[in-house]
Amino acid sequence: MSDDIVVRATNVSKKFCRSLKHVMLYGAKDIGRNIVGLSSRSEILRDGEFWAVDNVSFELRRGETLGIIGPNGSGKSTLLKMLNGIFMPDKGKIEIKGRVGALIEVGAGFHPMLSGRENVYINGAILGMSKKEIDKKFDEIVAFADIGDFIDAPVKHYSSGMYARLGFAVAAHVEPEILLVDEVLSVGDYKFQQKALNKILKLGEEGVATILVTHALHTVRFMCLRAICLYKGEMICDGDSNKTIQAFQTKMNQEVTVNLKGLLNQGSNEVEITNVELFDKDRKKCSVFKSSDSMIIGVEYFAKNKVLNPVIQFGVVRDDNLPCFCGNTEMSKIKIESIEDKGYFEVKVNKVMLTSGKYAVVVIIFDRSMASPYGANFMGEFIVQSDYPRTGKSCPTFMVDYEWLAY
Amino acid sequence: MPADNVTIYQPDKQLHMGFWAVWKEMFVELARSRELIWRLFLRDFSAKYKQSLLGVSWAAINPLITVGVFVFLNRSGVMNIQTADVPYPVFALLGLTIWVVFSKGLAACTSSIVSAGSMVVKINFPKISLVIAAMGQAIVELLVRIGLTIVVFIIFGVMPSGMALLFPLLILPIFFLALGLGFFLALLAGLFRDTVNLVTLLTTYLLFLMPVVYPPPESGILGIINQWNPLSIIIVSCREAVLYGSIPNLGGYMWSSIFCLVVFLISWRLFHLVETKIPERI
Repeated sequence: MSDDIVVRATNVSKKFCRSLKHVMLYGAKDIGRNIVGLSSRSEILRDGEFWAVDNVSFELRRGETLGIIGPNGSGKSTLLKMLNGIFMPDKGKIEIKGRVGALIEVGAGFHPMLSGRENVYINGAILGMSKKEIDKKFDEIVAFADIGDFIDAPVKHYSSGMYARLGFAVAAHVEPEILLVDEVLSVGDYKFQQKALNKILKLGEEGVATILVTHALHTVRFMCLRAICLYKGEMICDGDSNKTIQAFQTKMNQEVTVNLKGLLNQGSNEVEITNVELFDKDRKKCSVFKSSDSMIIGVEYFAKNKVLNPVIQFGVVRDDNLPCFCGNTEMSKIKIESIEDKGYFEVKVNKVMLTSGKYAVVVIIFDRSMASPYGANFMGEFIVQSDYPRTGKSCPTFMVDYEWLAY
Repeated sequence: MPADNVTIYQPDKQLHMGFWAVWKEMFVELARSRELIWRLFLRDFSAKYKQSLLGVSWAAINPLITVGVFVFLNRSGVMNIQTADVPYPVFALLGLTIWVVFSKGLAACTSSIVSAGSMVVKINFPKISLVIAAMGQAIVELLVRIGLTIVVFIIFGVMPSGMALLFPLLILPIFFLALGLGFFLALLAGLFRDTVNLVTLLTTYLLFLMPVVYPPPESGILGIINQWNPLSIIIVSCREAVLYGSIPNLGGYMWSSIFCLVVFLISWRLFHLVETKIPERI
């Protein structure tokens, strides 16, 4: 094993049980077997059990930040808990080198009746710090949490943001060699999230290896060069974070489209959007654009009844559900008298201006007040390839039109 | 990867380790948890009395009322407990002071892991510290009751023997017994929540079945049980040492102490072996 590897998981599996009755029964059996010195034979699946994490292997080096993505229930948190030693794997082996700082849930172990100060000491002790270490770091922790005088108030009077900030501040100051973070940053406001991410990046520069479990794909894109994707307990991809996100999206694509359709079809369905097509400037069908290209969106619809004064809107959404831009006939001060039966409209985006990634066009036809949609659809996927150099860390959304005036 | 720095998680890890290696691991873990045990104890202690008017005095009110009830029952002739040369209140309070270590300790230990719930599932730390810290609550109650007992001794003009100074040492076996059973019951409570209720019920009625507020009966079923019950032997021995300065059944006391220690060691080891199975069952 080479020197800078700090985490190694080899064929790690974990099984869970669906019914509570079985949990008690199996638990008693396993513990009974262990007591008399027999193996609990954890590698065998019994009635009602399933693999929550199935045969996952990976390695992590010093200073590396690894993202773990996947849909709900794919085993991300379970994997993280095994890496932290809260759960034992039922198969396979995990090797960890160095002190682990884990943020499975911020403020777990906080006692609501006690003051922030008391809780910092308790939480620190639970995370393995001595009183001396906490004394030394105390001011730094309070400064990072940014809660001022509230430090001496019982934490039950804290806002959820303050709670999260204090919890993160303690865990980030444990001086870990490996940091495990599970979707905890979503609690705080934007400012805190940035601060926390920066802290993680800074720790990374100091050689701390971080594993980040999150649903925020843009965070993974921004923070991690490498990511793994879990799906129903299995690891379906391990590699460059962009590649992994794409694999995840491909896997989820069907579900996502269906979901969005369900969401968008809440309209009255009086108008159906039957087809959306994308063309380049030469009116050729196209699905790959450059940032500086223009794009023509052609939309076919079918109105069952006559609809008076509709507003037609188009928008572009990135593959991680980030809305990028939109426009509609109301904003362009165009008044449409009515639409009926089959029809077609076209809009030209003069410059796409987006950076590399996968996008989709959303078309909605509203009533005059734009309160309820007559019909909507999520179609016309396209890819943008920009010249913007991808460093893996920073990834802006737009490439605006600009020129240098002095240099 | 230097071996000393590497933590390995794999199924049935302890089964592949040697017998003594596991003991070593247990003692190292205990030594490392000192600070955490102290912190958890402080947390439970200050949280418990934070929003209460009477605070720690509850630890004194409780035995006073219990003793009061027994004294009342005794005076009104419902019960007839003869305590030779010691006033009954002194006798009963001393018994309850010894008893609290077992009853309070057992109850606190049993619920320690279940009541820590979310923490156990979300942070990795030695669970043994939760159980030992819970025992701290029994120590607080014990200290308060010792103070109370001293006051009552003075009020009734009873002079304890010189052996009373050995009292903290003499009740040590009860600590080990409570902690040992506590380890086991805390695990059991993790699997079956019924355990917590059961322990509360048991300790309440055991109080009446053991010679705590009355001297051990000489004959009958209760007499035979008390003759062989290590806990009864230790309770009686402790009280006799404080009141009369001698332990008549010294052999019994010794054997009972060894029994308590063995229960403690076995339970501790058991706890260590299966504690990793608990978070996923909570």
